[in-house]
Amino acid sequence: MHSSIRPNQFVVLRLPSETTRLVNIVPNTLINCGKFGSFPANQIIGRPFYVTYEILETPGDTQSTYLRIVPAPELHAESLIEEGEGDDDIEVNGEGLPMRTNRETIDDASTQTLTLEEIEALKRESTGAGRDIIAKILESHTAIDQKTAFSLAKYTLRKQKKYMKRFTVFPMDVSGLTNYMLEIRDSSAKSMELRDELMGLIGCWGNVHHGGDTSIQDVLSKPNGRYLVVDETGGLVLAAMAERMGLLYPDEELEDEENQTSEQQLPADELKTEEASEQPSQRTQRPAQMAASGNTITLIHANKQANISLLKYFGFDQNSPDESHPLYTHLKTLSWLQLLDPESDPIYAQEPPTIPESELRELKSNKRGAYHRKRNRWTRVQSVVNEVRAGGYDGLVIASLMDPDSVLQHAVPLLAGSAPVVVYSPTIEPLTEIADLYSTARKTAYINRKRDLEEAKQLVNQTTDGDSELLPELVAEFPNNPTLLLAPTLETLRVRPWQVLPGRTHPMMSGRGGAEGYIFHAIRVIPTTGFIQAAGNPSRKKRKVAPAQSTATPGSSTSVDVEMKS
Amino acid sequence: MPSPFLTPSSQAELDQLALLHLRRDDTIPAIVRLHDDENLGYKEGNVTNTRFGSFPHSTLLEQPWGSQIKASKVDTGSRGRSTRQPKKRKANELDSPADEDADSSKPTPKKAVAASSGFLHILCPTPELWTASLPHRTQVVYTPDYSYVLHRLGVRPGSTIIEAGSGSGSFTHASVRAVFNGYPTATATDPSPKPHRRRLGKVCSFEFHAQRAAKVHDEVNEHGLDGLVQVTHRDVYQDGFLLNDSTGTLSTSPKANAIFLDLPAPWLALKHLVRNPSSGAESPLDPSTSAHICTFSPCMEQVQRTISALRQHSWLHISMVEIQHRRIEVKREKTGLEYEGLRGANVVPRNVQDAIQKMRVVEERSVRFRESLPQDDAPQSDNENPTTTTIKPRPAELDLADIPTFTPSISNEHIPSYAQGRLVHRSESDLKTHTSYLVFAVLPRDWSEEDERRCAEKWPSQNVAESLVQQGKGKSKKQLKREAKEAEVGTETGHIKGDDL
Repeated sequence: MHSSIRPNQFVVLRLPSETTRLVNIVPNTLINCGKFGSFPANQIIGRPFYVTYEILETPGDTQSTYLRIVPAPELHAESLIEEGEGDDDIEVNGEGLPMRTNRETIDDASTQTLTLEEIEALKRESTGAGRDIIAKILESHTAIDQKTAFSLAKYTLRKQKKYMKRFTVFPMDVSGLTNYMLEIRDSSAKSMELRDELMGLIGCWGNVHHGGDTSIQDVLSKPNGRYLVVDETGGLVLAAMAERMGLLYPDEELEDEENQTSEQQLPADELKTEEASEQPSQRTQRPAQMAASGNTITLIHANKQANISLLKYFGFDQNSPDESHPLYTHLKTLSWLQLLDPESDPIYAQEPPTIPESELRELKSNKRGAYHRKRNRWTRVQSVVNEVRAGGYDGLVIASLMDPDSVLQHAVPLLAGSAPVVVYSPTIEPLTEIADLYSTARKTAYINRKRDLEEAKQLVNQTTDGDSELLPELVAEFPNNPTLLLAPTLETLRVRPWQVLPGRTHPMMSGRGGAEGYIFHAIRVIPTTGFIQAAGNPSRKKRKVAPAQSTATPGSSTSVDVEMKS
Repeated sequence: MPSPFLTPSSQAELDQLALLHLRRDDTIPAIVRLHDDENLGYKEGNVTNTRFGSFPHSTLLEQPWGSQIKASKVDTGSRGRSTRQPKKRKANELDSPADEDADSSKPTPKKAVAASSGFLHILCPTPELWTASLPHRTQVVYTPDYSYVLHRLGVRPGSTIIEAGSGSGSFTHASVRAVFNGYPTATATDPSPKPHRRRLGKVCSFEFHAQRAAKVHDEVNEHGLDGLVQVTHRDVYQDGFLLNDSTGTLSTSPKANAIFLDLPAPWLALKHLVRNPSSGAESPLDPSTSAHICTFSPCMEQVQRTISALRQHSWLHISMVEIQHRRIEVKREKTGLEYEGLRGANVVPRNVQDAIQKMRVVEERSVRFRESLPQDDAPQSDNENPTTTTIKPRPAELDLADIPTFTPSISNEHIPSYAQGRLVHRSESDLKTHTSYLVFAVLPRDWSEEDERRCAEKWPSQNVAESLVQQGKGKSKKQLKREAKEAEVGTETGHIKGDDL
């Protein structure tokens, strides 16, 4: 929970111009808001979030500034006054016509009598956080009395956006970062133009949630809450999953307000993951990287190293990970090569030779360190790769530029039954392709072909899930086994923002275009061994309703037979 | 008991919820029970009947989640006759207990025999599947809406969320998944042992309709969510959001971080959701964090009143959005003359060449046909010789073998039927074009002058190390920390005069 602004953490600053900045709050530094001024970081550390601060000059000292929290009634002032005036926002004269209309308005820039130089001079002299400038500008507008209430409000607002020395502090969370990435055109491609509303939907369809603490694992006799992710948004999707699983923010409950100053004096282990605190015997031992067994995210990446650079905004740097960050133990990474052909990966395949303890003690400390590092890296990669290859994962989330069918082909078999699959794509075409790969028609064809091949090879009743080796023809025709995914669905979501000023409620006039963003989701299932009797029985063709449907897995979006209820 | 929603085991367990998936949007919730409690008279014990066959629960139990289950041959016909008797007996109080005993003590139900067709998939419950299958009591908050609401409200593991009204419980299930970070244990209830223990997530659900509240309460227990969801039967407009203690008086604050109001008049409930209620009661909000609110109202008038009330109660960042969700259907559209007789195909020429070719063929055929007719000037009127008319077609038929038949310009021969045609997508036929308007707002934590003074002392405001001005992004975390420490040592000497707030 974000209770107050913490030192050495990123925050999102929103400026009056509606632009946002991501700022690291380093103690004893000056934070610069461009033309809206600057202020010392110490003045907002420990203060509340979501509040608007005003930069004011200390009277008598032009060099120093102080911050004032703008109270809510002041922020709402205009709206509240208008509401107080009554229901009728448009002033009406005796004949029922609006008293002021824009009929007489002069479309001319000359109505503003202040010159650019005068405004610049005002800005230099201003002390009241820009309020005096705006008052002056309004005063100098020759046609101000001709403006309608709406246009006056708009004019004032426009000037406020330009001159008010205010800023609002938002906590750095996934929503904030997603919106920030979208706002900046260059970076939106880096996050695959992923919009905030889809982020929530991905999490829900992926059933991404906290897997419970370690005591649950003993009850269930299996690790819980293990998710696979293929993320090419620079770590944004990963961050969203981590947020939902309680892994994104260092445990803030432990370092409450009283502990803020003595933060560095806290024993390091106190801040570590729950595993550490569950087992007091291991307290002295450092938790190994990627060592958590449950509530984990496993990232499969295409290059030698995963690109999760956006996690730096949440205090996690992949190159020098902070041991106290929950992702240190709960995020596991491996490459496609390590997953599919581990023997050709040098780190996995080549075990560094073990040196007996006695020899080790005689080595130089840097050599000993290198030895331990190599050994640790090898054990880490071994355990991660073996864990992933064993499968049984609880969910799969994909946001990748690669062909989704190739990703699904290798990742879907790693899921446990009933585990959800979610694929995000900025454009719909890759997703219609995979929806087609799991269509009812293809499922029927697969089941029939499989039976034919089994009969030809007399494998009936011997096949299990691992039939891929036994039926190479089947795999050649259907690289993606269509019977593994149930109810493939394609959907999109868009949020439409409204302006909600009193008497002026309407949808926003403009919004962001670009990629619409689509989500494919389905559920991994375990098809029954053997085949469904009714499959491909031509004599039953006439009775279309029930038996014809049972020939293939029901619930596909592509069949004309399947009725759709919303 | 761990909840199958949050920490499922790997298979369907006895007395736990399983969702029986027949096809998309057709899922039946079922509690897996072997014995037929309602005494419906199946030989196989407890049976769920669907339009895709009958499924004795003995075939579902301990199946791995996601398994495809074949339907069984269940005698549903003769059952009606046999149950008639027990029904009569049920009316007769004396006989019925003995009869039920006899049924439940039956050692093993008959083994199920697989039917020749029909199947379902047994799925592990998730809030999404539950939302699609739950018994409707009120309008349901669907997945697209609640996914966005929970995301925007910043509901995370460990949060406490207030929900009013519970309604059909779809939002309840989604929010408990969002806040879950462990089950409360017996030791967690007494406050002393671990002061540093993480706060456990919780949902406080309020419902003013007694029956619905009771139903949600039952579902929560059935789904193993007790302890995580607290259902209170309450009119929140009147009585606010404090939780009842064991004696039934309003006393404990839920200390909520987020609030979701799905009420007809949310503005009436807002007076209770303030930092310092005028009644002098405790605030239901968490004093140490900001509170996020979302109201869910279908009408613009409700939105306007809500927003006006939010402004008066000093909520900030008020915004209103509307969610537009579309499901998309993907299919193969087959167009071409070669698809004649195929259901759903467009039997028109695939392209201009085909159209021309087709017309040529038709033209050619009719020319040949006319040629094959006897060269009589007026065959129609000449009815004197009936034998010629019967012979006429024969030469024509023979000729047809030579004339070109239509062959499509693009051959489908080597393409399997599932890959034929063009892949197209469209919105599904029934759209939900409006669900509700979502109003969001944030109430920051209270910040008193006392707080400000303490904070200013801790972080002397006017100390800005010149070297550190506008640095940062290029440096590693370690470096930053070291520098920060050094700077702090420097500030300690002069922080008193630096403070001027």
